[in-house]
Formats: sequence, C-alpha cells, structure tokens
Amino acid sequence: MIIKGGTVYDPTNGILGEEMDISIENGKVVEEAKKGDVIDAKGFLVMPGGVDAHAHIAGAKVNTGRIMRPEDGRQGLEPKTKLLRPSTGYTVPNCYAMGYRYARLGYTTSFEAATPIIESRHTHEELEEIPIIDKGALTLFGNNWEVLECARDGDIDKLAAYISWGLRASRGYGVKVVNPGGGEAWGFGGNVTGLDDPVPDFDVTPREIIRSLMKANEMLNLPHSVHLHTNNLGKPGNYATTLETLKAVEDITSSMDRQVLHITHMQFSAYGGTGWRDFESKAPEIADYFNKHDQFTMDMGQLIFGSATTMTADAPLEYANARLLHAKWSNHDIELEESSGVVPLFYGRKMPINAIQWAIGLELALLTESPWKILMTTDHPNGGPFVNYPEVMTLLMSKPKRDEEIATLHSLVPKRSILATLDREMDWGEIAIMTRAAPAKILGLKDKGHLGIGADADVTIYDLNPEKIDPSKDYKKVKAAFSLAKYNVKGGEVVVKDGEIVSLPRGRTYWVDATVPEEHAQRVEADLVDKFTKYYSIQKSNYMVQDAYVTNPMVVKAGVI
Amino acid sequence: MREIVITPLKTFSVPIEAEKICPDTVSSLALKEIEGIEVWEGNRKMPLSDLFQISGDEGSTSPKDTLISLKGDFSRVKRLGEKMSTGEVVVEGNAGMHAGNSMTGGEMTIKGDAADWLGREMHGGLITVKGNAANYVGSGYRGESCGMRGGEIAIEGSAGDYLGEHMCGGKIAVEGDVGDFPGASNRGGTIHIGGNAYLPGAEMASGTIVVKGCARVLPSYQLEGTVGLEGMTLKKFLGDLVDNGKGNLYAASVE
Repeated sequence: MIIKGGTVYDPTNGILGEEMDISIENGKVVEEAKKGDVIDAKGFLVMPGGVDAHAHIAGAKVNTGRIMRPEDGRQGLEPKTKLLRPSTGYTVPNCYAMGYRYARLGYTTSFEAATPIIESRHTHEELEEIPIIDKGALTLFGNNWEVLECARDGDIDKLAAYISWGLRASRGYGVKVVNPGGGEAWGFGGNVTGLDDPVPDFDVTPREIIRSLMKANEMLNLPHSVHLHTNNLGKPGNYATTLETLKAVEDITSSMDRQVLHITHMQFSAYGGTGWRDFESKAPEIADYFNKHDQFTMDMGQLIFGSATTMTADAPLEYANARLLHAKWSNHDIELEESSGVVPLFYGRKMPINAIQWAIGLELALLTESPWKILMTTDHPNGGPFVNYPEVMTLLMSKPKRDEEIATLHSLVPKRSILATLDREMDWGEIAIMTRAAPAKILGLKDKGHLGIGADADVTIYDLNPEKIDPSKDYKKVKAAFSLAKYNVKGGEVVVKDGEIVSLPRGRTYWVDATVPEEHAQRVEADLVDKFTKYYSIQKSNYMVQDAYVTNPMVVKAGVI
Repeated sequence: MREIVITPLKTFSVPIEAEKICPDTVSSLALKEIEGIEVWEGNRKMPLSDLFQISGDEGSTSPKDTLISLKGDFSRVKRLGEKMSTGEVVVEGNAGMHAGNSMTGGEMTIKGDAADWLGREMHGGLITVKGNAANYVGSGYRGESCGMRGGEIAIEGSAGDYLGEHMCGGKIAVEGDVGDFPGASNRGGTIHIGGNAYLPGAEMASGTIVVKGCARVLPSYQLEGTVGLEGMTLKKFLGDLVDNGKGNLYAASVE
C-alpha cells in the first residue's frame, strides 16, 4: 500500500509538514512497496496512529463503573450493523465501543492504566474483546505487601525479582504506582498524608516505596518507567507533595533513553490552597520544575465538562469524593495488593472547583515548553471520556477557542489561574508529539508513534489541509476532522474510511517478560508460598494469567543484565 | 387542529417500541408517510401500517397543532409520546410502559390505565390519567440520580410503588392510594396523595409530600406539629433525617 502525497507530521523522524509518500508492506512501513492499493492523501494531514498512554479501558473497576451506571449505558447507543456490534455508554462504554471509538479518532494503541495482579485475568478478558487497537496493561505495585516488605528491607534485588514475577503473573507491561502506601493503609481505614508518613504495620514510607520501585524498574531495564499517581492526589495544596516527590528521586538515573519517572494525570496533582475555599492552580510551579528537569514526564489528565466516572486504585480519595458530592460509590479491598474505588460525577462549568481544574490541565500543557514532556490525556474516564480528545486538541491549538470557553465558566477562573493570559497556540507538530510520538517514546514502544522504516504501519489521515487551515480561527473544522478520521490504517489495513469502520482486525496485547537472576527469583518464590498459604483467597496455581487469556501477545523482553 | 387517529390492527402479544408516535415526529408528515414510519415489534422492525391503521386529517402542521388519538388497547405499546415538546396525545384505552417519558411540553391524556414508568424523567408538560398508574410514575430510570424535573402528572385513580422516585421538580397528584416508597430519594418537587401511602419520602433530601389519607411514616422523620392545609388538619414532619434531609412530609393520620 502507498499513501501518496499527504502532508506528513512525523516528529520522531524530524518530519514536520512535508509532502511525501508512505509505503507499507506486511504491516510495516517500508522503503518502497512493490504492490497494493494507493490512497491519495494529497491535501490531507497524515500522522502516525494515535497512542494513548493512560486510560482506564478494561478490568474490574471499569466493569464496576458499568454496573453502577446503567444510566451511562443509555448514552452513546449505536445499533449493530452488518460489521459492528452494538455500542453503549459514554464514560464507560462497552468493550467494542472502546475499539470503534478509538479507531474513529485515529488512534491505534491504548494502554489500560491500572490493574492489580489478582484481577488481571478480568482485564485481559476485556482487552481481548476490544477490537482493532493494540493494547497493554500497567500492573499495580504501589501497595503490594511483598513490595512494601522489600522496600522496607531495602532489598532491591528481591523487589526486581518480584516485579518480574508480577508482570508475568499479570501479563502486564509496566509498573504502576497509585498513592503508594495509602491504599494499604486504607484497608484499615487510614491513609498516608505525605512522603514520610509510615504505612501502618509495615514501617515503610511512600518515599521509600517510590525510590525502591524506581530503582528496581531501572535494574530490570523495563521499556517504561515507573508510572506514578502521587500521594495526596485530588487534595488542595498537593502540588507541594508532587514537587517533593520529584525532588526525592532526582538522583535516580534511567537505564535507557527515556524518562526515569512518569507522573500521570498531573492536573489532579497541581493544586494550591489550604482548602476548597482558596483552591487555586499551581500549574506554573509544576511546569517550571519540568522545564528545568529533563528526566521526568507527565500527562495532562484534562478535565472535560459533563459526565465522568472516576475510577482509581486510590480508594480513600474515592471515599472522600463520594462524601463530598453525595454521590453513589463503590470501594474494593483487593487482598494483599490494593484498594480501589469508583464514583460517578458531573463536572460543571459554573462550579468554581471544576472550572479551575479544567484550566489547570491546559495551563500545564501550555506552560511546559517541550511537548515531549507532557502527553495529552483525560485520564479516561476520570477527567472525561477519551472521545473528547479532539476538544482538547483544539483548546491547545486555539487561543480564541479558549477565550470562548473561559467566558462560559465560573468567574473565579481568571483569578485562580493564569490560563487567560497564555497566548501559546500549539502547531500540528506539537499535537503530533503529544498524541503520538511522545506517548510511544514514554511507553518504550519502539515501533509506534512514528513512520520511519520498520515502524508499525499505523497511519491516520485527517481531512485537514495544514497549508490552508488556521487552527486558531477554524477550530470547529479542526475538531470535526480530528473526531472522525478520513482514513485510519492499522497494521497496514484500512480500518476507518471517511469516519466509518470498514474492517475489524484483532489488536495485539503488549506485555513484558523480564528475567532476573535465579537466586533472587527463588527468594521471591519462598515468600509467595508463604503469602498464598497464609493470606490469599486463591491458590498460587490459579493466580497466574494463562496464555489462553492473551491470545495475540506481543512480548517485550527485558531483565537484569 | 390536525387529528391523526391510530388504531391497532390486532392484539399485540409482543411489545411495540413506538417512540415515534409523538407530535414532534408526525406533525409534518402525510398519512402515507406516517404509515411508513418504522417501529420495532419485539426484535423485528416494520412499518407502522403493518401494526396500526392510520387515519384522520391530511396535511402538514406544526407539532403544536397536532392531536394524536390512539383508539384501542395500547397497553403493549411502549414509549408513546417520548420526548414530546408540544401538541396533544390522547390514549382512549390503556397505555404501555414509559408513556410520556422525557417529555418537555404538551399534553397527554390516558383514559384507561398507565403501565410502569409513566412520565419518567419528564421536564415539562401535563399528563392526565383517568384510570390507575403502575410503578415508578415520574421517577428516574435505572441508575439516574434525577427523575422528573418539571411538569405535572395527575392521576385520578391510584398509583403503584416508587411514585416519584428521585424526583427533582414538578408535581404529581394522585387521587387514590399509592404503593410503597413514594418520593424515595427525591430532591425537590411536590407529591400530593389523596389516599394512603406506605413509607413516603425515604432518603428525601428536599421537596414536599402530602398524604391526605393514612401514612406509615419512617422513624427517621421528626414530628414538627400540625398545620391546616386545604381545610384539613395535617401532621407535619421533617426528614429524611438519616440523610440530613430538609423535606416536608404532611399526613392526615399516621399508622
């Protein structure tokens, strides 16, 4: 297949708006294709397929959201067609709708952001049913008893061996850490208040947990860094905890050419004020820190007005949300590994807190100089559903669009944030970085997010002529075009044509197989036998995710050298 | 006013999903076009004319000047007048589930009985039922935190359980008795019950419930005294206190 004459944005390879052909053979980008169809892309915007590095798209808590929210299932109904199964839901769509909607947006890869090992089988059952896109799941380690004990003992070798085992047991891709220590404390009704607040009964602090996991992560040479949801997330004044966390790990170095720590949905961790009354944005402080430090990355966690379903392994946060908003809620104690919660809520334009949160996400993106350091996400469906990505793209590309939105918001926004004073408007290349090149690089997906020779043939064509259209003025057109791709090519196959799904290839599931020295693996084994005998509700032999649950795997090798 | 008459051709054994029987949809269509409107009978889609006889006035009007007369038994025809914003629907017999749901204006009259979910999530307009109504009148559908927000439902007979559940506004008046838990979890709106009620206003945050007959009142309601209302002396309660509710509950007598 040849995609002819499109205006290509491939920032990884330094291509910014050049008219060129892309040749595809056997699902890969090649120098020259010998045969196949020709897609005439002249006058259209061509980018690599979108990569979402953080979304909650599969697993137990997503399903809890669906069960709790039959009213959400009534939205977004699309009947079945000859090709497609029916779609339901807006914030918590059914599995098929996840695949269809990503594909229509021009996305080809999405990573589930948090799954406990014990619930990974469920996660993979859902991932298997999401059509078209490639996917993977990050495994939760931040409140796991074995992790807490290794961190307390400073035994990084054993911790690395446990992570290696945990990734294999969960068929997981990376190390996700959520409110380290807090989830365990919540099992007994408590929480941790900061980096040096010890976890009850474990005599270990969040600082030690984060540092140990990062060291083990780098020892294992994992493709992705530690992916952190900070302590005190969602609380006024938490920017101080966020900065303290970053400063606490400045001395740790990355084992490869990528960040050493990714802080996720930063919008929820960049709050000032001593309470909700004097709640304000501290995005400038956070962005300033990132501008001066190249070893850290983040994603936006942009808020979208309207309905959202918050779901996180940060169970005490969800409990607080439910009490504050008088909303329905679910909490879950996940044995020796985590706690979690789900709370549906509604973000209102005239609600001062929500309006300021909305501004913080955009401030972070606009104030961080390098788009390689901040990804575009909505923390789907915590900040809002991923179908709103085109809205976020236009907000970043158009100052008039932002001004128009700010005019509809609560009047506190200009007083508690500096968003209204920011003139920066992102260009096509910067959007391509935030949605394609950077997420692939941050996740360590070498064949994704770019169109160089040998890359996966995931290509999106949008009905936009970058030469002619001014995204600052024509933001409505830009949003419409980003919402329904003209073409989406996944692995060399056309999956979307003129906004309609035309084929349903099966995506692959990425997971990391990391090797560790035998002696440390055996020490972990001994601990596991003890824990499964004494505490777990299931047998160790029933615990591992079998290959039957990951039928189209993409195994990435890593390990201690 | 243009009158469109719709009569069932048979006794339905499988429910019909007839949300398109609504002034907003049919007002501008010729009778021939109305016959061609597709509806679902169970899992099969078919034109309206396969199920109903369509007659009445020809010509195109605005929805406001449209009267849809439904003659016969519509007890298995669901979603009549869904989302209607204006005009009039008269059901000569019984109406099926979800009649007048989400309507924002206009008038619906049901001369027989109404099935479950009558006027659920209604925003405006008037529904009158000459017979009885079943469960979940003016409530929110599964999972919804806000049911009826405005408009009025008047029932001359009695009503079933969960009347006005999650109600946030508007008015429901029932002349007869109601079933269990009227006004559960409501956050506004007014419910008038002519007869008896069992455990009204459970988890009520705000709003008004008046029971002119006898009510079994939850222990989480606080008696505040007696008041005169429409020539009757009623006991006044505040609740539901388990949820820090500020709702007003009035009852003529307490079980």
